[in-house]
Amino acid sequence: MSYVYYPGCSLNGTARECEESIQAVMRALGVKWTELEDWNCCGAAVATGVSYLLSLALPARNLALSERAESDLVTGCSRCYMNLIRSQHYMQHNANLKDNVNAVLAETGVQYSGKARLRHLLDVIINDVGLDVVAERVTRPLDGLQVAAYYGCCQGMWTYAQFDSVEDPTCFDRLLATLGAEVVHYPLKTACCGGTLSMSKREVGSNLIGDLLLAAVAADADCIITACPLCMFNLNSFQNEAGKAKGTKFHIPVLFVTQLMGLAFSLPPKSVGLHRNMVPPDPLYKKIAAGAESSGEAVAAGPK
Amino acid sequence: MNAQVCLTPRSEPVQVMKDPLGNSFEFCYQCGLCTASCRTAYAMKYTPRQVMNLLQLGCADEAVASGSGLLCTACYSCTFRCPRGVAVTDMMAAIQRLNLARNQAHRDIRRFYRSFMRTVERHGRFHEVEFLARYFAPNPVLLVEEIRLGLSLLAKGKVNLNPPKMASRKAMAAMFRKAEEIEGRP
Repeated sequence: MSYVYYPGCSLNGTARECEESIQAVMRALGVKWTELEDWNCCGAAVATGVSYLLSLALPARNLALSERAESDLVTGCSRCYMNLIRSQHYMQHNANLKDNVNAVLAETGVQYSGKARLRHLLDVIINDVGLDVVAERVTRPLDGLQVAAYYGCCQGMWTYAQFDSVEDPTCFDRLLATLGAEVVHYPLKTACCGGTLSMSKREVGSNLIGDLLLAAVAADADCIITACPLCMFNLNSFQNEAGKAKGTKFHIPVLFVTQLMGLAFSLPPKSVGLHRNMVPPDPLYKKIAAGAESSGEAVAAGPK
Repeated sequence: MNAQVCLTPRSEPVQVMKDPLGNSFEFCYQCGLCTASCRTAYAMKYTPRQVMNLLQLGCADEAVASGSGLLCTACYSCTFRCPRGVAVTDMMAAIQRLNLARNQAHRDIRRFYRSFMRTVERHGRFHEVEFLARYFAPNPVLLVEEIRLGLSLLAKGKVNLNPPKMASRKAMAAMFRKAEEIEGRP
């Protein structure tokens, strides 16, 4: 299986820890890929508010580039994935729309034919690499760690429609259980974090984030695990604001899925960007070390 | 492009429309599953169900001016669940688009969208620092509110000061122009 990897814009900036952990973990799993050459922004959640055609053409250009590379296109960002699959789906069902998109794409010298194969990072890890291979790589099982698996909205609806249940996806739970973690019942697992509202409508965004954090605290989770860089940013960066909105104080670590995998693989925390998390994940290290001791495993040194 | 297509993620195209708003709202039977699925409906002047109703009643201008579209996070829960195959999210995006084009939203919100798209048009990729500079410059009060977040992001090495280097960035600007030529202004 050959892949081209589409990191997306935020993975070069505020979601740098996601990128670092994706690269480190996929290397550990033996997945080889090259970065999609000359990729562009997918339009995020903003393009639809400005131009319908651009909101489809921006993602379509990346699809067209992956067709040229003749490889599966893997995204590390759920919003990118959603925009790409939306564009692909709409064009698949409407030739007129596809013509218009291709007329726009012609300006950059590429054309979309419809052959692109889009893959989500979790899809590749779970269905191509396989949970058995992930299990083999686990050297420090996360015994005793209680995690809330937060799928996020884009994933719940568009992503998991491709390879899991739309309303009740479970593949993320299975992956985290493979790492030895205990996945708590988290009823808001596919509820939206508010996306860019945390910037453009702070009071609404903070309220939505607060709901998600409250539910994780109520479920006794030690941390929230997400697979979307925007959820990651929102849940990490706005815990103060969310606390004010809910009349409480939050301090719960939020990790990107590959960061937690890195810990279970005994990769150095720095190599998976854990020093960059806005809410320091240090309490988790102690918990993981304690869990390892109680299960009788010799741990030479904590991940610190 | 005066014909816009309205699709749901799970079905065949519902209908091809001439109206820039699309018209799959005609299929809505007001069950309210969209509003029940919507996490931001509580903050909207008109909930998604009410927006669909306004569109059915020919009161699109009222729906557009309400600004409800700006609160849609495009999570697509409503669209996936709609038993009538209405592309609710695309309808919400359409009233959002018209609201912004008619300058009905607060200028900070309009600048938020404009700054984002301008940055992508210039670089082909999103550049957080340039976006924030464009967004904050005319209203430094916003900057003061965000300064703590900005500084901690900087301290964590999560601010990329270098603009993205995309080979075809000039062609990206041409793409933006071509899209506007085909589509026209909303």
